Amino acid sequence: MASSWCWNCLSRLRQPPQALLPPTPRISTASFHSTALRYAQPAKKKGNSLTVMKHRQSTSLRRKKKKVTATARPPAVGERKAMRKRIVLSNPNALEIEEMQDLSPETMVDSRLRGTVVGLPATMIDQLRAVQAFKPKQGWSLFRRPGTVLRRDTIEMGRLVEKISGEEKGKVVKKIITGMKGSGKTVHLLQAMTMGFLKNWAVITVPDARELVSGDTAYAAIEGTNPTQYVQPGAASALLTRTVAANTELLSSLKISQDHPAFKSLTPKSSLEDLAKLGFHDPAVSWAAFQALWKELTATAPAAGLEKDFQPRPPMLVSVDGLAHWMTDSAYRDVDYKPIHAHDLAFVNHFLSLLKEGDSLKNGGLLLYATSSSNNPNPKDFNVALDQLKARQAGIKPSSPEYPQPAAYTVTDPRVLEMFSKVQSSVELQTLTGLTRDEARGFMEYFARSGLLRESVNDTWVSEKWSLSGGGIIGELEKLGRQVRATAPVSASPAASA
Amino acid sequence: MISRGSSSNEQRTLVESQDSSQPKYVKMVFILGVNFPERNLLKASQPSYARSKSLETFFGIGNNGSSRLLSRFNIHPTCRVGELANKQVLDLTAVLSEMKIENDLRREVLNDIKRLKETGTYRGRRHALGLPVRGQRTRTQIKTPVRLNRMERRL
Repeated sequence: MASSWCWNCLSRLRQPPQALLPPTPRISTASFHSTALRYAQPAKKKGNSLTVMKHRQSTSLRRKKKKVTATARPPAVGERKAMRKRIVLSNPNALEIEEMQDLSPETMVDSRLRGTVVGLPATMIDQLRAVQAFKPKQGWSLFRRPGTVLRRDTIEMGRLVEKISGEEKGKVVKKIITGMKGSGKTVHLLQAMTMGFLKNWAVITVPDARELVSGDTAYAAIEGTNPTQYVQPGAASALLTRTVAANTELLSSLKISQDHPAFKSLTPKSSLEDLAKLGFHDPAVSWAAFQALWKELTATAPAAGLEKDFQPRPPMLVSVDGLAHWMTDSAYRDVDYKPIHAHDLAFVNHFLSLLKEGDSLKNGGLLLYATSSSNNPNPKDFNVALDQLKARQAGIKPSSPEYPQPAAYTVTDPRVLEMFSKVQSSVELQTLTGLTRDEARGFMEYFARSGLLRESVNDTWVSEKWSLSGGGIIGELEKLGRQVRATAPVSASPAASA
Repeated sequence: MISRGSSSNEQRTLVESQDSSQPKYVKMVFILGVNFPERNLLKASQPSYARSKSLETFFGIGNNGSSRLLSRFNIHPTCRVGELANKQVLDLTAVLSEMKIENDLRREVLNDIKRLKETGTYRGRRHALGLPVRGQRTRTQIKTPVRLNRMERRL
């Protein structure tokens, strides 16, 4: 049957616009890849970032911070400080040195022993600890037992101590000890203290001058003083504690010989130890107790009525480490918020006045005031004063143009220069330098014999180390001795050396 | 405020400690109506000790103010609250109670700002608008004024 439509007419109809047409089905063709489409990973859903983001939100990555939770218990109060200040005096792994002599009244003056290391007497270790003669960063923990080199300065000091105890009774020697970092100033003081203990002297020490001026201990003004002086009860109490702990035997054998109206509990039978103990049990009277103790120790004759138990007082050793801290303003402030000069602290003033006065130690003795290079506030005027002292000793007159003067146009501290201008005739400046080659050899042999150093210690080797240590600076020599310890011996097995 | 003549027993009180690592009871010292643990430093001498400061917790006493207070009574900078003598505690309290600190000082500052607003000054307007007052740029970094400068200024 023929259609009523004419194909010709149909072909003349206008084609409708493209948009109205239904979408033409895509001709399915084989894709280029042979893998079937269904194996493909499902396409990720695209997040519409514009809708998620808030206005002006930052696009940078934000991570949650990890919360730090403490797992271990924190160290107990004071534990970390105790570790930091711990002093180890013995190393059981180090070899014991046979025939090592002790420092004794005989060995300390024996020039044949110069350059050898002598041990500190075992009975005196507690006393030396009490006066804080050992410092935490010194190398005592390397060796079996503590020992020091008998160097030229040590033997000279030994002879001095011997003289003051014997033939030249009543003589007072005042020294300021300086030297490069590591030159052995603190150990020099330690040797002096040991000698003092050996000779039954009264040993009074200030192991760290800084503690008195750093503002870490209580202070109080003394009424009626001009310029105002300040006492430090805590520091005085600590000084008495040290002094009693180190000199128990001596102080308990000496009886009271002077009147002390401030301490009514004392009887003529009481010993100096009782007097000192009054002070460290009660900080309020500790400074007065120290002054009373000082009066007793420097007494040359008993007061009326107290002659019975009077014994002559022994010579004294007074040592201070870190003198430069006392030559500037302290960290304390006065009522008007002005810094207090260190010289206005009664404690500091007492020890500095010993330098000034001629007969400060009535029964003779040794004043050793050392500077410190590792902890040095470097006060300009003190440095100038030391230079002046040196110049004087070299014979340069103060009127000479070569005589050191403070730099022009700088603010000077008149109190320091004035103090030193007064003391210059009585105080000797001792500069510690390096060991000689022979002494250095003795010191390095000590390392070798302790088993720390596995080298043959001969002249060439010692000479090399002596030069490396800046001409025998003992602290540097010790570092070299420690370094060598770390190298593995040649004969070690490959596994051990790997 | 404490009475001047109070005895030592009233001065030091025992307060239960909330920190388990510390002993259960901590001795407290009463300064200007506030109890401070005895172990606290009187003055925070270093930022690391800031948590244990005492004097500087009062509004209006900062580093300088606390240093001056300490020197006035010959108290060393690293003193702990427990080391104070009773007389020193009383002295400190007496001086603190005469100083313009805490609410008195807050009130004064707020009144100053209020005055600026009321007289219609530029600074007063900036305070009210929550914008920086002293000529800082406002393009970035004005979080603090936005936070603090309101009609009712926060302190």
